Amino acid sequence: MKPVRIALAGNPNSGKTTLFNALTGSHQKVGNYAGVTVDTKEGRLTHRGREIVLYDLPGTYSLTAYSLDEIIARDFVIDEKPDLIINVLDATNLERNLFLCLQFQELGIPVVAALNIIDQAESMGLGIDDRQLAKLFRMPIVRTVGTKGTGLEELLDQALARADQGGVSAPAQYSAGLEAGIRQVAEVLETDAKFTGLYPSRWMALKLLEKDEDARKKLGTHTARDKVEAALDKAVKALEKAGGRDSEILVSEARYGYIHGAAKETVTRRAATVTVTELIDAVLINRFLGLPVFLLILWGIFQATFTLGAYPQQWLQDAFTALATTAHAHMAPGLLQSLLIDGVLGGVGAVLSFIPLIILLFLFISFLEDSGYMSRAAFVMDKFLHIFGLHGQSFLPMMLGFGCSVPAIMASRTLKSPKDRIVTILVTPFMSCGAKLPVYILLAGAFFTRDASTAVLSIYLIGVFLALMSSWVFRKTVLKGESTPFVMELPPYRTPTLKGVTWHVWDKSFQYFKKAGTVILAASVLIWAITTFPQSPEGTPREQALQASVAGWVGKGIEPLVKPLGFDWKIGIATVTGFAAKETVVSTLGVLYKVGESDDDTPLQKALQADKVFNPLVAYVLMLFTLILAPCIAAQATIGAELGWRWWAFYVLFSIAVSWSICFGVYQVGSLLRIGS
Amino acid sequence: MTLVDLKPGDSFVVEGVSLGRETGKRLADMGFTQGVEGQVVRMALFGDPIQVSILGYQVSIRKSEAAGVDVVKGTLRP
Repeated sequence: MKPVRIALAGNPNSGKTTLFNALTGSHQKVGNYAGVTVDTKEGRLTHRGREIVLYDLPGTYSLTAYSLDEIIARDFVIDEKPDLIINVLDATNLERNLFLCLQFQELGIPVVAALNIIDQAESMGLGIDDRQLAKLFRMPIVRTVGTKGTGLEELLDQALARADQGGVSAPAQYSAGLEAGIRQVAEVLETDAKFTGLYPSRWMALKLLEKDEDARKKLGTHTARDKVEAALDKAVKALEKAGGRDSEILVSEARYGYIHGAAKETVTRRAATVTVTELIDAVLINRFLGLPVFLLILWGIFQATFTLGAYPQQWLQDAFTALATTAHAHMAPGLLQSLLIDGVLGGVGAVLSFIPLIILLFLFISFLEDSGYMSRAAFVMDKFLHIFGLHGQSFLPMMLGFGCSVPAIMASRTLKSPKDRIVTILVTPFMSCGAKLPVYILLAGAFFTRDASTAVLSIYLIGVFLALMSSWVFRKTVLKGESTPFVMELPPYRTPTLKGVTWHVWDKSFQYFKKAGTVILAASVLIWAITTFPQSPEGTPREQALQASVAGWVGKGIEPLVKPLGFDWKIGIATVTGFAAKETVVSTLGVLYKVGESDDDTPLQKALQADKVFNPLVAYVLMLFTLILAPCIAAQATIGAELGWRWWAFYVLFSIAVSWSICFGVYQVGSLLRIGS
Repeated sequence: MTLVDLKPGDSFVVEGVSLGRETGKRLADMGFTQGVEGQVVRMALFGDPIQVSILGYQVSIRKSEAAGVDVVKGTLRP
C-alpha cells in the first residue's frame, strides 16, 4: 500500500512545529525544494499499520505571491498534490487562523483541522463549539494540545479516514457579487481542461481576482488566455465598482465575512481579563523602557556568548594543537605532514572552534524566538533601522557582528523577507569582529601611543557608519523596491520548552557544520597551498620561504595596487593572508619582520616603527583596510552558504572595492595634508 | 479617519483598507477588514511603529501602513 502523503500547514506560532515533532519524533529529514534555499522538512510515521509521510509546510498567514514562504506552501500543494492537508489552527486566535484554512480548502485538497492550544483557549475563557464549526467548514476538526500530545491519535484517525474517503474539500460560498465574479472567470478557465487539471479553477479565479502575479504568470499557458483576461477584467471592474475598494482587498473582506459569521455561531467569549502577556509587554516594550531593556538583553547575550563560549573554544583549540603536536611527533616531516597539520587540522580546527559560539548563540536566540520576544525587539528597533532601509530584526545580527561575523550572519535567518535578509547579511561584516581587534591593538599601540583607544574607537564607529550607509545604498540600487510591510504579529509570550530549544539549536548548528564546514576545509587547504608552494630548499628562513611562495608572488604582484594606499609588498602579503583570516595579519607581519610569532607584540611594534614605510597615516589606513575587507574565509563561506555563491562574489568584490577606494582617499588626502609624516 | 489619527487606548472599528497591492493585501489578510473591532495599544519610542490589538491578537504596523486603514473611533454597539 502506498504511504499516505499529508501536508502539515498553519499560521506561525500555531504550534505547528511542536505538533510536527510530536508526530514524527526523530524520523525527519531536512530537504530543499528545487530552486529555493528555504529548508523544508518531511517526516515518516506509522499509524494503525498505515505508513504516513508528513510534509512540514512553512508557517504562513495567507497564500499570496508576496512572500517566498507562502509561494512554497501553495506550490507544494499544487505541484505535489498531497492526499490531505492537516491545518493546525491556534484556538486562541481562531478567526485569523481560519483565514488560511479557507485558502487551503480553495485549493481542492481535503482538509482536516487540528484545533490546537485548546487548553490555553479554554483557560482564557474562550468556548469553541467545534462540532458546529466542523459543520460550517465542512471538515473534520480535532481538539489537540501539541505540547502534551493530546488528541494526536484521533487527529491521525480522522486524517486517514478523510484521506481514504477522497474527493475534494467543499469550499466556502462568498457574497453573491464575488461568487458571480468567480463564476465568470472560472467558466472561461474551464475551457482548457489541461490547465484546470493543474490549477483548480475556483482557486485560480480567486487568485486572479486578487491580482496575484504568480497566477497571472501561470495564465500564460492557458489556451484561451485573452478570453480569460477579458472576463477577469470585467469581473474586477464590476467588483471594485460595487465594493468601492481594490478587488484584492474585497476578496479578503469576503473571506473574513464568512469567518466572522461562523465565529458568531460557534465562539463564546468571557469578559476580557488582563493577560500575562499584556503585563510583561507593559514593561518590556514600554515606549521609554523598551529600548534600554532591549539593549540590556543584547548586552547580556553578547557577554554570555563570547565569554562563556571562549572556554570551550579554547579547549577545542588546545585539543587541535595537541593533535597537531602528536602528528608532528609521529609523522615524517614533509609535505603530507604540513598539509595535515597546517591545512586540514588548521581548517577543521577553525570550523570546530566556532561551534561552541554558535551553539550558545543559537541557544539564546532560540529562547528569545520561542518565548515571543524577538518580534518585540523588532518593534522597538524598527524606526531607527528603517531610515537606512533595514528592518527591525536586522539589529540582532548586526550587534552580534561585533563578536564574530559567522554566527551573526546566521542570526539573520530570523528575517523573513529575502531582501531584508540579503541587506543585513551584506552589511553585518562591517561591524568590526573580534579577530580584527589584535590588528588594531598592534598598529594603534605602535603609532598612536597616547590616542590609541580613540583611534580604535573611531575604527569601530566608521564600521557602523559604513554598515548603515551601505544598506541605504543597496536599498536604492541593487536591492531596490518597496520596503516590505512591517505588519508583524506580536505573539503571546510562551515559556520555551527544553525540547523545542534543543531542537532549534541542533538544527541550526548542524546546518552550519555541514554547509560552512566543507567550504572552510577546502579554503584552508588552498591557503596552505599558496603559502607553501613552490617550496624553498630545506633550512630556508621562514620569511624567505613565504616570499618565494605563491602568496609572496601575489603580495609582490599586487604591490602596484596597494602602493596608492601607502602599502609595500610586505603589507601586501599580510592583506592577502588577511583575506583568509584577520588573525593572520599579525602573524604574517611577525614572520616578515623576523620577530617570530610570539604573543608579545612589543618587538613587532618596534620593528614596525623602525620601518620607513610605516607612519601613523599608513598605520591608520591599514586599520581601515582591515576593518572594511571581508572578515575571513569562514564568514565568506557562511555568506555563500546562506545567500548562494553569486551574492558571495558580489560581497567579495564590493568589500574589495569599498576598502580600496576609502583607503585610497584617506591615504591620498592625508599625504597631501602631510598627516603623519 | 485612519488608524494613525488614534492615540494609545483608543478603540476603533475598521471600515476597510484603502491601500492595494502588497501592503494593503497584507493588512486585509491579517484581519483589517470591515466591521472588525480593535484597539491601539501603544507606540514605539518615536511614535512608530504602533501596536494594535485586533481579532484577539497583537500586531505591530508602521505608521505609513496604519495610514491606509480607514477606521471609525469607538466600539460597535452590542
